[in-house]
Amino acid sequence: MARSDAEAGAPTPEESWRAIHETMERARGSLHVAGAAPILLLWGMIAPLGYLCEHLLATAWADLAAESPWVRAPLWGLLAGAGMAGSAAIGSRSGRAVARGAGGRAAGIRVFLFWLSVASAAFLVPAAAGLWTEDGASAVPRVAIGIVALGYVLFGIVNAPVIAVVGAGIAAAFYIPSYVAGDHALVISAVATFAVSLLGAGWMRLRGAW
Amino acid sequence: MSTGPVVLDETIHQPARLRIMTLLISQPEGGRLAYGFIQRELDLTGGNLTTHLRRLERAGFLAITKEFRERRPRTWVEATPAGRGAFADYLENLERALGRAPRG
Repeated sequence: MARSDAEAGAPTPEESWRAIHETMERARGSLHVAGAAPILLLWGMIAPLGYLCEHLLATAWADLAAESPWVRAPLWGLLAGAGMAGSAAIGSRSGRAVARGAGGRAAGIRVFLFWLSVASAAFLVPAAAGLWTEDGASAVPRVAIGIVALGYVLFGIVNAPVIAVVGAGIAAAFYIPSYVAGDHALVISAVATFAVSLLGAGWMRLRGAW
Repeated sequence: MSTGPVVLDETIHQPARLRIMTLLISQPEGGRLAYGFIQRELDLTGGNLTTHLRRLERAGFLAITKEFRERRPRTWVEATPAGRGAFADYLENLERALGRAPRG
């Protein structure tokens, strides 16, 4: 409920000092999460789409996967590229709706660079680990999802705890079914990831976040 | 350094107005924040926020501009140079009131 402090009295110096610090801290985080709810939803659809394609590569498209194990690179590259472009567009639009000037631009650039680094790491770390091979290709998503989930957790710890919870949820949605659900693991992961993202975005909307 | 009693500018030294000014000062010079963003950030009612913004505007501490974008009205708020100066003075006096040596 909104505060009704039009008639509130003067704060003590200590209260003023604390209010200044809390307001600055919160404002910084709020600018960083502009557009976060729709971006969560966007990735909540893109990641499950990738999981379903992976499921098909393991079942209906098994011949294709055996002949061309590299097919996962353009597949995830295309999905990640579309996600990054969509996120940048949503983030830029949402950012411009709340702040104009160097501060808003700087916040947008910081957020974009953070996620660009996460996405790059999700590709480069498996490459550096020698997984982009016929034998290792199927392990690439396991590593990449872990890196992306870590990105959510770190970003959330700094800016909005709900995003950290979503990150943990994304990791759980991917790893737990892979241990307990057998052949249907990726399908279950796709549904669970979408549900986690939907819940996270819904929670942010309910709390009035962007 | 002044040794007299510390006087805090009462236009700023009020819970909502202090947080409004802090929010605006957190932006670099020329940076504007949307009215809706300020309202959400500070959890204030529209009427309450407008009252405090008018008071700060009358003091010359902030400027309010309105624009139509994509057929929607938007209100932007930014701290003026006078507002930034007043806030710097407020901080200096606040540090004195807290018994700290002002920075700078």
